[in-house]
Amino acid sequence: MTLVPVTYKGGIYRHDEIVDLIEDLGGYVVQKHTIAQDVILQSLVPREDIDLIRQIARPLMGEVTEAPLVGAEIAVVSPSLEIHHLPHSSCDVAEYFRSVGAKTNMVGLARGFGKRIANLNIEERDVINEHDCAVFLLGNFEECIRHKFPALRRGITVPIIVTGAPATDRLRAIIDPPVEGYVGGIGRLAHRMKKQEGEIEHLDTLVDEVARVLDTRRNEIAKDPLSASPARLMTVIDEAMQITEASTHPTPITVQIAGLRVKIPYETYAETLRTLNIEEGITLGDVADVLPSRMRTYIWIKIRPFSETNIMV
Amino acid sequence: MKALEYFEVESPEPVGGEAYRAIAEHILQDLDLLKVIGRLHIFIDPEIPLFLAVGLTRKLPRLVRLGDIANVLADGDRIVLDIADETHLSEMLTLLWDLYGRDRIDQPDRFTVVISAAGTEAAEIENLVVFDPSESLYKDIIYALQYIAPEGFKVRREWVKEEQFFYIASENTLDEDVLQTIVAEKFRLIGVTV
Repeated sequence: MTLVPVTYKGGIYRHDEIVDLIEDLGGYVVQKHTIAQDVILQSLVPREDIDLIRQIARPLMGEVTEAPLVGAEIAVVSPSLEIHHLPHSSCDVAEYFRSVGAKTNMVGLARGFGKRIANLNIEERDVINEHDCAVFLLGNFEECIRHKFPALRRGITVPIIVTGAPATDRLRAIIDPPVEGYVGGIGRLAHRMKKQEGEIEHLDTLVDEVARVLDTRRNEIAKDPLSASPARLMTVIDEAMQITEASTHPTPITVQIAGLRVKIPYETYAETLRTLNIEEGITLGDVADVLPSRMRTYIWIKIRPFSETNIMV
Repeated sequence: MKALEYFEVESPEPVGGEAYRAIAEHILQDLDLLKVIGRLHIFIDPEIPLFLAVGLTRKLPRLVRLGDIANVLADGDRIVLDIADETHLSEMLTLLWDLYGRDRIDQPDRFTVVISAAGTEAAEIENLVVFDPSESLYKDIIYALQYIAPEGFKVRREWVKEEQFFYIASENTLDEDVLQTIVAEKFRLIGVTV
């Protein structure tokens, strides 16, 4: 059974039937937004059952669309989030990613601006490395990107996608060693991206590029599968600890490609999580590393591959 | 951008130059400076790196005098101001308070101010300068240029004299002579010799 990421958009009326259906089919609701009368469910569902969901959702005026980035946490890194450069293209990019189901975190570097003086500190590096991929939004000049990017990428181990105003092939030419993805035409600008031509079209390209990079990552992981699926662990953890109930975060448990971010204090809850029973005596600690996250006091769960644990739940 | 008589962005990188042209247009429009700046030449060289803007303002709006915003009527020992335009009312009150003291200035209603100062001429009051637009204007222009300049260019110099201004920013300290030559060269492009 392959799970595919989809977004369900519909009214709040009887939406719990859809939630139940997704769960009964063996899928997972990764994120649920309730906005006034509307509900948006970011979910992973079995490929062969999409039509069934569509059929059941039809009388409820619900809509099921493909959302390639559901189940991924993406860092949108900008050299600075200074107020005098607002509105930022980073805001447009982060918002656009969310509309296709990703969980995005904006990372504004403390000293990322300038050409010679740009750098990345250790905390920023560690925070970025906890994501599934990092999208670097750079500026308008080739010369600056060429000069500063080596400093900004130092120590980053997750796949990188670079954007900037120069054309994609120019970015590819000036960045050495190569990164996983390039999208040209998105640089610093002083207005929101609204035009289809030259603005939104580049955002679409960026989403495709990120989806491609994440697919490569998923395929890489599929060669040595994870001991447990992140979406399943999310359900197990939430049922046992009722985190969503008690939290005001939009995503109290964030699903990543090979892990989870649980937004509760590490000191207090790490041990409870490690000993949490998943099924038939197998605990979370058996299949995953429970680590302190560099983001606030959160917990970062890194799921170990099957080859390490010899367990598959 | 039609409002400026001359507007150029010069850069060895055409893509970056074009992007900065759009940025400058948006920012000048947002800060409502299109009507005030007459000529503007921006030069950006990311190699050095250097950001330079030279420009000329148009004829500035004239000084706002008290007579322009209120009717001044002498009434015995008192002078009654009938406010016609409230825009600069707070500046006017501050000025009158400074000149005559708070106890002599009375504002019985929104559009009336009464000055109780014996021996003051109505004409004298009419001539008081309430607001000087050039004071805040240059601040606004320099702020706009700071806003347009690439971030991180922290070594900067600004210069404003009569209707001319320039703003220069870089990451590195730059040679004084070189700067003067570049500034003079760019000023020539907008028809000014310095």
